Amino acid sequence: MMKTGLATALSFLLSFSVIAQDSFPINGVKDKRANAIALINATIVTANNQVIENGTLVIREDKIESVGQNVNVPAGYVKIDLKGKYVYPSFIDVYTNYGLPAPEQSGRRSFSGPEQIASDTKGAYNANEAIKSAYNAAEEFSIDQKTAESLRKAGFGTVLSFKKDGVARGTSTLVTLAGDNDNTVMLHAGAAAHYSLNKGSSSQQYPISAMGHIALLRQTYMDAKWYQDLSPRPFTDQSLEAWLASQHLPQIFEATGWMTLLRADKVGDEFGIQYIIKGGGDEYQRVSEVKNTGAKLILPLKYPDAFEVEDPLDAMSVSLADMKHWELAPANPGILEKNGVVFAITAADAKPGDFLANLRKAVMYGLSKQQALRALTQIPASMLGVYSRVGSLDNNKLANLLVTSGDIFEADTEIYQNWVQGKLYEIKPLEDNRSGEYGLQLDGQEYNLHITGKSGSYKGEIKVNDTTDLAVNVKFDNELITMSFSTDVENKEKSLWRMSGWSTADGFEGKAEGMDGHLVDWSATFQEKLVKKEKKKEEQALELGNIIYPFVAQGAVELPKQETILIKNGTVWTNEEEGVLKNTDVLLKGGKIEKIGKGLSDKADRIIDAEGKHITSGIIDEHSHLAASSINDIATNSSMVRIGDVLNSEDVGLYRALAGGITTLQVLHGSANPIGGQSALIKPRWGVAPEDLKIQGADGFIKFALGENVKRSRNTSSIRYPQTRMGVEQVYVDAFTNALEYEKEWKAYNSLSAKQKANAKPPRKDLVHETMLEIIRGKRFISCHSYVQSEINMLMKVAEQFGFRINTFTHILEGYKVADIMKEHGAGASSFSDWWNYKWEVRYAIPYNAAIMHKEGVTTAINSDSGEMIRRLNQEAAKSIKYGGLSEEDALKLVTLNPAKLLHLDDRMGSIKKGKDADIVVWSDHPLSIYARAEKTIIEGAVYFDMEKDKEQREVIKKERARLIARMKDAKKAGAKTSLRSSAVKEDFHCEDVLGWETDLSDR
Amino acid sequence: MKKLIIYSLGLLTCYHLHAQVPVPAPDQAEPILLKGATIHLGNGEVIENGNVGFDKGLITMVSSEAVDVAGYKVIDSRGKHIYPGFILVNTPLGISEVSSVRAMSDHAEQGEYNPNVRSQIAYNTDSENIPAFRFNGILLAESTPAGGIVSGTSSVMELEGWNWEDATHTKDVAIHLNWPERMRGDFDYNTYTYSRIPNEKYDEEIAGLEKLFDEAKGYLSLSHADKNIKLEAMRGLFDGSQLLVVHTDQAKTMVESIKFARERGVQRVAIAGGDETLHIAGFLAENKVPVIIPAPHRVPERDDDDYDLPYKLGALLTQKGVSVTLSHEGMLGNSRNLPFYAGTVVAHGLGKEEALKMITSNPAAMLGISDRVGTLEKGKEATLFISEGDALDMRTNNLIRAFIKGKEITLDGRQQWLYKKYSEKYGH
Repeated sequence: MMKTGLATALSFLLSFSVIAQDSFPINGVKDKRANAIALINATIVTANNQVIENGTLVIREDKIESVGQNVNVPAGYVKIDLKGKYVYPSFIDVYTNYGLPAPEQSGRRSFSGPEQIASDTKGAYNANEAIKSAYNAAEEFSIDQKTAESLRKAGFGTVLSFKKDGVARGTSTLVTLAGDNDNTVMLHAGAAAHYSLNKGSSSQQYPISAMGHIALLRQTYMDAKWYQDLSPRPFTDQSLEAWLASQHLPQIFEATGWMTLLRADKVGDEFGIQYIIKGGGDEYQRVSEVKNTGAKLILPLKYPDAFEVEDPLDAMSVSLADMKHWELAPANPGILEKNGVVFAITAADAKPGDFLANLRKAVMYGLSKQQALRALTQIPASMLGVYSRVGSLDNNKLANLLVTSGDIFEADTEIYQNWVQGKLYEIKPLEDNRSGEYGLQLDGQEYNLHITGKSGSYKGEIKVNDTTDLAVNVKFDNELITMSFSTDVENKEKSLWRMSGWSTADGFEGKAEGMDGHLVDWSATFQEKLVKKEKKKEEQALELGNIIYPFVAQGAVELPKQETILIKNGTVWTNEEEGVLKNTDVLLKGGKIEKIGKGLSDKADRIIDAEGKHITSGIIDEHSHLAASSINDIATNSSMVRIGDVLNSEDVGLYRALAGGITTLQVLHGSANPIGGQSALIKPRWGVAPEDLKIQGADGFIKFALGENVKRSRNTSSIRYPQTRMGVEQVYVDAFTNALEYEKEWKAYNSLSAKQKANAKPPRKDLVHETMLEIIRGKRFISCHSYVQSEINMLMKVAEQFGFRINTFTHILEGYKVADIMKEHGAGASSFSDWWNYKWEVRYAIPYNAAIMHKEGVTTAINSDSGEMIRRLNQEAAKSIKYGGLSEEDALKLVTLNPAKLLHLDDRMGSIKKGKDADIVVWSDHPLSIYARAEKTIIEGAVYFDMEKDKEQREVIKKERARLIARMKDAKKAGAKTSLRSSAVKEDFHCEDVLGWETDLSDR
Repeated sequence: MKKLIIYSLGLLTCYHLHAQVPVPAPDQAEPILLKGATIHLGNGEVIENGNVGFDKGLITMVSSEAVDVAGYKVIDSRGKHIYPGFILVNTPLGISEVSSVRAMSDHAEQGEYNPNVRSQIAYNTDSENIPAFRFNGILLAESTPAGGIVSGTSSVMELEGWNWEDATHTKDVAIHLNWPERMRGDFDYNTYTYSRIPNEKYDEEIAGLEKLFDEAKGYLSLSHADKNIKLEAMRGLFDGSQLLVVHTDQAKTMVESIKFARERGVQRVAIAGGDETLHIAGFLAENKVPVIIPAPHRVPERDDDDYDLPYKLGALLTQKGVSVTLSHEGMLGNSRNLPFYAGTVVAHGLGKEEALKMITSNPAAMLGISDRVGTLEKGKEATLFISEGDALDMRTNNLIRAFIKGKEITLDGRQQWLYKKYSEKYGH
């Protein structure tokens, strides 16, 4: 039990200033006192998880002087006996904004007002407002007592503080959570440099998309290098100066989950930088990809609330993915640990008050205590290169430590004290936990007294038998105790005992008064600690669901594998000279089409009986926006942005597209700009990581757009150039002209000798010019959103002027008016079958468009631009039979061979021919009939969609939902917070969507 | 005089080359017999090799046997298919043209309660959508106001006529009500995702509706009160002459709204809702509440849903005894695919003739016009068409002739004229 006299020592310590700076003026006489303290008899846990029993830790001023089992305490040191207590190094959080003003609110950016083209920041700073690299947190830092207290309560002693604003966020400062002096708490002024893919308070229009942020970052790295190499500087850019000056620091990147984590790491790889990446809490969903980044992580302990699922109708709007994440989020750190990912833990993204509970939950869900402690001490300290000063209980390190009632990772353990730089901050009075089972002797009776709870909230109970308990009021005041209870439940007032007492070596004793007014002696003897029942329950419940790929309901634990498949006796639409072959077999081997013929045999892994069924090559969509996290950036020339940077493998639209026979799609940038971003050609390999969706070796494509969208016609206050079709032409002429100038400059520079180069100024690398040059030089191909004939004709003339050809006009609803000119130019067309009249420029769209262009000899495809229509492009193709009388074979080619040609993939796809990719659909009926259903969709010999398997999966989904709903209900019963809300639904993007909130289904 | 003639000629030439829409047809001049076709009655039955005769706009016979054809102009329809004209419900046809052009939209009035605004008088017979819709078999439409809580009163219009009076089939058939949502959308700007959270204003909005309906009912039985055109416009709901169409997507609000209407003496209620109708199919069937579902050509409402839920919804509801009508939401011009929506339902579980009912007899019954249209039966209006093949499949939907009340309408419109113009240019 507690030693008397300690309280006095503590109050002395609490009021005394550990360090003072000699350079500061004193108003009075010098009053510098020594800070010399010894913590004795403690169980000391160092960051390396060495446990020193009966240890001593000696503090002198702000540092640890010595630590160990047999340490001599020099004379004059105040001794604090910590018998039964634990001492830990205090925690380090490398992801806070402690002591800094909150960034300005970014708010909603209006799309109805005039665009802000240039930066609003005054001064010689970067051209883009989101590059806030000149920000230095140390300049703004000042102690914030309230936040410091809440962080200390959660166990932290040292934090890294930065301003969460901008793509480049400047530098952070490392400070302790001591509360006395801004100067002494700051350990390191410029501790790390910070980045994100969120422009924060910048009101400048560009960048607006996930891919735009990446492009800006990429360009800024290139600009900084160019700027650095120039002497004298071409101009002053304080943002770039600061950027360059902070490159040697730890580079910390904020990701919001595994997907942005992988994107950030990829940018780092391009420039030889290994970021430390702050995660989002869902990294377990792609742990091998996360591990392969080699990045050290900073993990938040962010667990979603349980959903309110009592009402089955309400519960239906909660997705399985959200329920699974609710279950698995606390296992994230444990899973990463098992996979060898190095990480620190941060309190960010959750309330500081929940931190310890969340941490303990992570431990319960598989994080080892050793790793948990390292992730809060040694690892963050090492990340910042300050392990010599903080992060463990070693000699000469700062005396940043915690005194706890026991193992800090156990549920009931309390933090009593948090010492920062040798200074004590009391969290709770240092006392023993009184809970336990006591034998109470009172008035000749023996009672079984249980005291539960902890300091400030004790509860008492007397167990009479299995069903009857007597409530006991119990209150402690340091060494004193007051209790009362009634022995007779039926007759409470008459059987009341009021008791007063004090602690003894093995419990309590004192005086009690019954209703007869006599004082009698009582005593309570400690017998044993109470075993926690709830904890056992939780442990039993720890059977977690599977991790599935992708992490949505239709995902699976195992990905489909490439097989040798023999499809027997189908009606085969070859798209070749052979035409449609009845009763024919197709053999798929090694991901390719091996053989087409009758009566084939092979020891295939799988034989598909296709009698009465139709076999076609996979459907190809020239124009889709599935599987992209963003669609449009907003710069008039956005050619620097790349859809391939922001692919989203978890888009359920991919699965739905597979169920419609899709095996290849072009994920295009949107149509907000005359020159849009670069597209990605993918196969919907359901379950793979984003990078693995891409078709290797495919040519590069880019989106252009014409007409109402690029003129921003629907925004009446738009000021962005161009506002007319005349201006649109000039945007192109300007871009290509400048690109040629740029090429000339580089050619001139590159032709210099090494010696000459040393004295010459290198031109600036510009991602926009580079892309425009790729187009002129035939290395990147245009797919241009287009409607009316004048602009279609115009763009062909611009291309001819610069010596290249437009690859594809997409949408091209008035292509029928200029089909002959397109043919002559060599442009292809990818159109809607029958869309029209949703805006002015499509007033004269006709459903015969595809047929006319096809008949005129233009390579013509039918596309979707829709997560819905991509599910039944075969039917859209069939409309060209009704409208324009195409043959059935030609109609099918509109969604297979022809788009393959437009995407330069016809040597690998688009027909059933030996040697081509085994991208095959098995249809239940004539593939151009509305009654046909895709039964199997095969990509390179792997069955990615199978109607039968889909049926089985529906049962799996139902069972898994039921299991999780039961768990949520249990959690609610056990007191977990729940909220009534549906799962989030990602917008189905169309080409006019700017980040998804301009969606208007009635307008493309 | 000479000048006038030149002018007239000029006008005529212009007319043929640049007419906005085809010239409306004259009334049926002689009895017509369509002979030897596969007749899809619209009530679930098919007659192979049958005949349909009509005179003065009304069907005089539907038969499978050889009949007395004296006096009829016979049209050989062997190998062809005859269908009742398809009915497009809940559509802004005629009152909205190009949705993104504000000046061309007349379908959503200002304010929350607009029972008194009527689509009939704004219906533009020169809408360019009309010929394109007719081309695929849609001959009748419920032109319907949108917006607010009580959007207004719809009318059934024919896709033919010189003006809205000519084109009116049945005026003021239904009042459309957008039921408030229990859960409202909440957009997260950080992740660009929507989720739904409880709507704090739900009770308040329902109270507003209760007040409107209670006061309308009271007003209609008061002996003297100031004339109130809003409340007056709701009379038909209480005397059974008008349908109340409640638009709501959630199962719970569907049930609530039906109970609400019944308790207040609304005689006929229909629900316009999506996938959640399935959760209360039994309730809807039991209460004989017809359902309007959006096009099957849409993505499922929720990530976890079966990928084919929108496709098969119509079949599942029908199998549970619900009367289903197919409709279109979104870009108006695409409503011309209505027949293929029925085809999709066939691909996903229902017989062709059952699916056909969803665009013929079911909407007619729901709108209270089944005594005149919706099926091919003697005495009903001769609003029908002949197709080369199965009209529910885009491959074979190919109209040869179409009649609205016996008038043979022009099927080609500007889209066909442009097709011809450019085919000629290229010599195709």
